[in-house]
Amino acid sequence: MRLTLRALISHGRVARRIGLGPESRINILRNILTGLVRHERIETTRARADEVRFYAEKLIDYAKKGDTNEKSMKMADFWLTEKDLIPKLFKVLAVRFENQRDGCTRMARIPNRENLDRASMAVLEYKGNPFPPLFPMKRVSELNLLNQLLKAYREEKAQMCCVWLVDA
Amino acid sequence: MSLSGLLQFVGRSLQRLELRLAQAAGFDSVGPALAVNGPQILPQSHHSSDEENSEPSFLDSIFWMAAPKKRRTIEVNRCRRRHPNKLIKVKYNIEPCPECGNMKLKHTLCGFCYEKVRKETAMIRKQISIMEGRPLNTPAVESVVLYENETPSEADKDKRIVERNRKRPYWFNM
Repeated sequence: MRLTLRALISHGRVARRIGLGPESRINILRNILTGLVRHERIETTRARADEVRFYAEKLIDYAKKGDTNEKSMKMADFWLTEKDLIPKLFKVLAVRFENQRDGCTRMARIPNRENLDRASMAVLEYKGNPFPPLFPMKRVSELNLLNQLLKAYREEKAQMCCVWLVDA
Repeated sequence: MSLSGLLQFVGRSLQRLELRLAQAAGFDSVGPALAVNGPQILPQSHHSSDEENSEPSFLDSIFWMAAPKKRRTIEVNRCRRRHPNKLIKVKYNIEPCPECGNMKLKHTLCGFCYEKVRKETAMIRKQISIMEGRPLNTPAVESVVLYENETPSEADKDKRIVERNRKRPYWFNM
């Protein structure tokens, strides 16, 4: 027999609660999304970045349909509060991602915020932005001690092989 | 103690509690809120003061407050204070960043390296805002950042060029 109310248990519920309510959540995410489209790289809390990611990719999908599309224009008009970003969305971002199906955004975690709240932060960016990359390129340098030793080992093995072949 | 006596006592305590609450809230006299204190004809104040003096004060409030019965021994205190759920958890997901050697969490960007990137991004954004002039003036073209002694290449023909007055940092190759 069920002794507790279903409303008090939240097992398996995946929807996040942000802000003061559903409308507030949409407003907050709309502001973040506008900032992301303007600046192409944004630092927010982890939960908000995760939520905005979905909306950012969906917005690009709508933008790819073209700016003559009625629905796309309505979506862009609703989601972007600063109206000078609508041409940028349709002419720059949609064109940048026209050959990709998904994976237009990248989210990376950052160390916690320095404030008293120590909030867990994330940086969210559209791929292909003009800024320096977040993840450094992996460079394999030959001047490492390990690589030098391995190089010498390979050369010695090659020499031994040649000597053996010559002997035989 | 009889049941009726107990009920009378509870009733009287409740009335006194109500009076106390009303006094605390600011209503000084019993009766309607807008009533003004008239001349004291009936000897009511004496009656109420006699009642208060006759009964001892610890029976006044019907709220019996919780209080510890015994001193908690140091052994019990230690058990509570040193329980694992009160201690700070040890983190095992700390590793050195391969680029700069500072410590970082495994699934997180290195703070030092990210700070470098953040500062450079801020400088680039400052340059962009100078180029744009007024707010809400984003052009509908891509941007590319060029450092000192760099010329735009074939792919950068249609893009807006953002110039930075320093040599290219080694961690920004693109």
